[in-house]
Amino acid sequence: MAPPDQSHRSPSPSQPSGTARAESNGTGNSNSNPKSNPNFDSKGEVSDLKMQLRQLAGSRAQGTDDSKRELFKKVISYMTIGIDVSSVFSEMVMCSATSDIVLKKMCYLYVGNYARYNPDLSLLTINFLQRDCKDEDPMIRGLALRSLCTLRVANLVEYLVGPLGSGLKDGNSYVRMVAAVGVLKLYHISSSTCMDADFPVTLKHLMLNDPDAQVVANCLCALQEIWSLEATTSDEASREREVLLSKPVIYYLLNRIKEFSEWAQCIVLELVSKYVPTDSNEIFDIMNLLEDRLQHANGAVVLATVKVFLQLTLSMTDTHQQGPGKLFIVQGQHQGPLQDPQHYLHPVQVYERIKAPLLTQVSSGSPEQSYAVLSHLHLLVMRAPILFSTDYKHFYCQYNEPFYVKKLKLEMLTAVANESNTYEIVTELCEYAANVDIPMARESIRAVGKIALQQYDVNAIVDRLLQFLEMEKDYVTAETLVLVKDLLRKYPQWSHDCIAVVGNISSKNVQEPKAKAALIWMLGEYAQDMQDAPYVLESLAENWDDEHSAEVRLHLLTAVLKCFLRRPPETQKALGAALAAGLSDFHQDVHDRALFYYRLLQYKVSVAERVANPPKQAVSVFADTQSSEIKDRIFDEFNSLAVVYQKPSYMFTDKEHRGPFAFSEELGNLSIGAESAENIVSAQRVEANDQDLLLSTSEKEESRGPSNNGSAYSAPSYDSSAPLVASHAQSELVSLDQTLPQAPQASSAFDDLLGLGFAVTPAPAASPPPLRLNAKAVLDPNTFQQKWRQLPVSTSQEGSITPQGVAALTTPQALLRHMQGHFIHCIASGGQAPNFKFFFFAQKAEESSTFLVECIINSSSCKAQIKIKADDQGSSHAFVALFQSALSSFGMS
Amino acid sequence: MPVAASAIYFLNLRGDVLINRLYRDDVGGNMVDAFRMHIMQTKELGTCPVRQIGGCSFFYMRISNVYIVIVVSSNANVACAFKFVVEAVALFKSYFGGSFDEDAIRNNFVLIYELLDEIMDFGYPQNLSPEILKLYITQEGVRSPFSTKPADKPVPNATLQVTGAVGWRREGLVYKKNEVFLDIVESVNLLMSSKGSVLRCDVTGKILMKCFLSGMPDLKLGLNDKIGLEKESQLKSRPTKSGKTIELDDVTFHQCVNLTRFNSEKTVSFVPPDGEFELMKYRITEGVNLPFRVLPTIKELGRTRMEVNVKVKSVFGAKMFALGVVIKIPVPKQTAKTSFQVTSGRAKYNASIDCLVWKIRKFPGQTEPTLSAEVELISTIAEKKSWTRPPIQMEFQGNMGYINMSQIP
Repeated sequence: MAPPDQSHRSPSPSQPSGTARAESNGTGNSNSNPKSNPNFDSKGEVSDLKMQLRQLAGSRAQGTDDSKRELFKKVISYMTIGIDVSSVFSEMVMCSATSDIVLKKMCYLYVGNYARYNPDLSLLTINFLQRDCKDEDPMIRGLALRSLCTLRVANLVEYLVGPLGSGLKDGNSYVRMVAAVGVLKLYHISSSTCMDADFPVTLKHLMLNDPDAQVVANCLCALQEIWSLEATTSDEASREREVLLSKPVIYYLLNRIKEFSEWAQCIVLELVSKYVPTDSNEIFDIMNLLEDRLQHANGAVVLATVKVFLQLTLSMTDTHQQGPGKLFIVQGQHQGPLQDPQHYLHPVQVYERIKAPLLTQVSSGSPEQSYAVLSHLHLLVMRAPILFSTDYKHFYCQYNEPFYVKKLKLEMLTAVANESNTYEIVTELCEYAANVDIPMARESIRAVGKIALQQYDVNAIVDRLLQFLEMEKDYVTAETLVLVKDLLRKYPQWSHDCIAVVGNISSKNVQEPKAKAALIWMLGEYAQDMQDAPYVLESLAENWDDEHSAEVRLHLLTAVLKCFLRRPPETQKALGAALAAGLSDFHQDVHDRALFYYRLLQYKVSVAERVANPPKQAVSVFADTQSSEIKDRIFDEFNSLAVVYQKPSYMFTDKEHRGPFAFSEELGNLSIGAESAENIVSAQRVEANDQDLLLSTSEKEESRGPSNNGSAYSAPSYDSSAPLVASHAQSELVSLDQTLPQAPQASSAFDDLLGLGFAVTPAPAASPPPLRLNAKAVLDPNTFQQKWRQLPVSTSQEGSITPQGVAALTTPQALLRHMQGHFIHCIASGGQAPNFKFFFFAQKAEESSTFLVECIINSSSCKAQIKIKADDQGSSHAFVALFQSALSSFGMS
Repeated sequence: MPVAASAIYFLNLRGDVLINRLYRDDVGGNMVDAFRMHIMQTKELGTCPVRQIGGCSFFYMRISNVYIVIVVSSNANVACAFKFVVEAVALFKSYFGGSFDEDAIRNNFVLIYELLDEIMDFGYPQNLSPEILKLYITQEGVRSPFSTKPADKPVPNATLQVTGAVGWRREGLVYKKNEVFLDIVESVNLLMSSKGSVLRCDVTGKILMKCFLSGMPDLKLGLNDKIGLEKESQLKSRPTKSGKTIELDDVTFHQCVNLTRFNSEKTVSFVPPDGEFELMKYRITEGVNLPFRVLPTIKELGRTRMEVNVKVKSVFGAKMFALGVVIKIPVPKQTAKTSFQVTSGRAKYNASIDCLVWKIRKFPGQTEPTLSAEVELISTIAEKKSWTRPPIQMEFQGNMGYINMSQIP
């Protein structure tokens, strides 16, 4: 308790001992939460308090209020530290029949805390709160009204309407301010009561007429929320919401902007940013009016203003042609044409104007605030890197900044790098790389690599990267190796310099999987230029069991094969060791790949050469992680969490968001036909779907890595914001493309995951089948059932499946994945060895003609019973051939 | 919807809830457990101030030994939320008498509840200016600076001012002696090459005011003619700058400043809040004239010995002097023994901040005192982690202001 309390000890004679005990208990527990301490002896204290309160309730003696205050304080302290004091409820209410505002406030606090869990008790309070709402002191009226609205008890809603109605009409602005938010609270408890009482109409009237700015702001908040929530069900509400964005309302608010508090300004500015002006004069007027807001000390106001500027000019592509001087009188002249005007829609001047205030926000305030502002700057920089290219020094890291700020700054530096500043930026980054702070050093090296991939001054950067390798710090070497690998994929011309240095690195010093995979990839790719590549690979293959990462083992297999194709005599031993180890590997992918290589080599070495080591094109652009549509959505949500998370808000607020493949989950409960007893969901799809939903963007990239590595041709995936995607794998897959029914599409992560299936499928090198299937066919399970019943059997055949296929058919999922690679999708599967049953479907690429397949496989006899039904009977034979070939190739990988 | 908070929690370092306020029902009461589990008890703590767990977003800040956590379930306005926390903490500090920590919170539950209710309603920030809040906060802080005034004295028309047009000042203030204090605090960040040439230098400055004035005064602060506030675009387009002007890159003002008037007349005119406040902030990157040059040479002699030589050169006029100069030279943590020689002032080793602290009370212009020190280190068995070499810090007061500057050797 507070020291001054001592002087006010209650006059009651029984008190001293009780108080003393309470004191000692209080201090004894000050460091531990009594919630977690069940032994806390609070019962006695609480009943003590109860008694004392009861004594005081009736007393009218002098100084009673002071003692009451002390007791109330104690009750609230107990409440806060988690002791249940709800038993003194009635005493508290009795004691607060007073005009003392201090007591009243504490009582409101107490009641607000316990009313929700004791609705019966709270009925007690309604009376006195309602009475207080009519008190002559406006402060008490306001406080009582606020407490009444925060009780949040649904069955007391009826008592709210009256006080709120009169509160909105109150002569005092404090009460009106509270009442405006009170309406919103009521709406959240019971929307119908709120709408029936016509409160929104009153709010709107107040908003447009009240002399007090805070009342206006609170009305605006309430209306915005109410109308947006109502808009989903009522047309009238959505019209009302439009009215908020109409010219008269916006102008009215803008004209009063200086009266609002800084926080209310944020809310008004947020609304204004959604307003669509009719012509450019309006835009200039608004911007001129708001320009001084950019100098506000409150960063939130500055950001909100920036948003208005950006949104206003978003639609206006010709502002920058209006000539200088008109927009801002103090503004300098036009900066000259930009290199790539399509990349952004905003006039140069606006960017120029908002730049300085934003940079100020970065360097002032707490690191957390800088973080929020930097996230926004990053978004802007991605849109118009050139505008910040001269200000790069602002993004240099300072010694005492926390890591999260430094990391964002590194991203900024990467984004603003161009021909003129690359040298200096990279010099600075190299300083960070030598830093003893390991995460920071890693990030810096990655940043250097990203800049190199942006094609500026590569020469100098490669030298720097190679110097990193000579620093002989494990983490520096590891990061650098990954980067050198990516660089080589983009600029093969540097191979000579890089390989000379990389060749000196002992593989024993590299432990991190990603780095090791990169090193192994280089050993395979540049086996020609590295003297001892076969021997290094051989020793790695011999220590196969020590390598715990499947990714590294996969790369080792490919590298050994590549090396073998170039230097057969030297590598033969390594190849043998690697294949033998790979075939007995417990990891499915490693095993599959080893077997695949083995058979390829058995079949024809020249084919193996074409598969494992085709002529490569340098990667010109590493794919961007986000579609431009997503980026635009984020941009629309400027000044919100979306920018910090770098994803649009529906991705993290909408719990119902399930993505495009939601329906496959329904398959879980599906049963098709009476005879299929156990139908198993297409686990692969659900899994892919789950990944899509659960993982954040960056995690998704990582999960994408291994699947890309399933392709024999790809190098380890680039682990940062520019991952290798299927479209790139595809460009390397030239030799195989023709055998695929349809080129894979990199449109979604889902397809990427499936990329595994087709990439390693050694389809017979025949002329492409005339029938093309739709890669992303979808069919509703019910439709499937319906069609299956309606359509006649167009073909019924007996097919065969290879012994290898049978061996691979340990679970139905293996086949599902395989067939999906051929764009034949499974809708249900079931059975146990030796009998499996599958239902597949496929769609033609050009039209919506569907094929339905029932396939029963007996794994002991290697036979398959195939029944096909088709919308288009004519093409069913072509489909059978396709299906058969797909089936017979199963197990070859 | 620019909601700033659905709930606000104050936690101690162990993760116990000290006090909390739920503004909205859209976040569950157990959300703070999620924060404890997923952030406080993992290495995540401190890696990022914004995190999402189970549909809710957590913004957190550490202030002394308290974590302030804001929870929202919607797409909230992050910048606003952090600014709100910063302002709220400043407000609490003014009520608690300067300190904001676990004990202060434990001693002021009722006051904090009262404040939290007034400064935010249903997740929307309301009024945070201390001047106005004073009018309708009934509790005293335990060590409140306002405790001289009776806290519960009814202020008759408090609520009229609460929402008035001049939200930061109340009417009817009377002082016997009208006083205004003005402080300029600049912090300079400087990076020098080993040869002593300036690689990078930027200044963030602020003007702090303390006003004790009666009535509703309209103040004007004229800025020096030498100060040119020009938009950067214009700066760049001009071929050369005259050496004399000081170019401010950007300025921001307290909400009391009439911004329109500043833009047209270049005078800062304002009705000041009562008491202490930050009038303006500015940023300079070009043309900074430094009053001192610090030239350090630090040699690591083997594993256990280090030699530190620091020369400080004052480059201002010989008749001027700086007062209370303090130079902090960082040394490694495992420092065992130090010995000094200084040509002026006094030096000692401060183990709690791992620095050699060199103080010079009066530092005349055009002089060049030096410090040379030998530092002995405890040899450790573990592989010596290389030393990060933190920047040297220097502060002083002078008629030109109070400058804090740091330098990375």
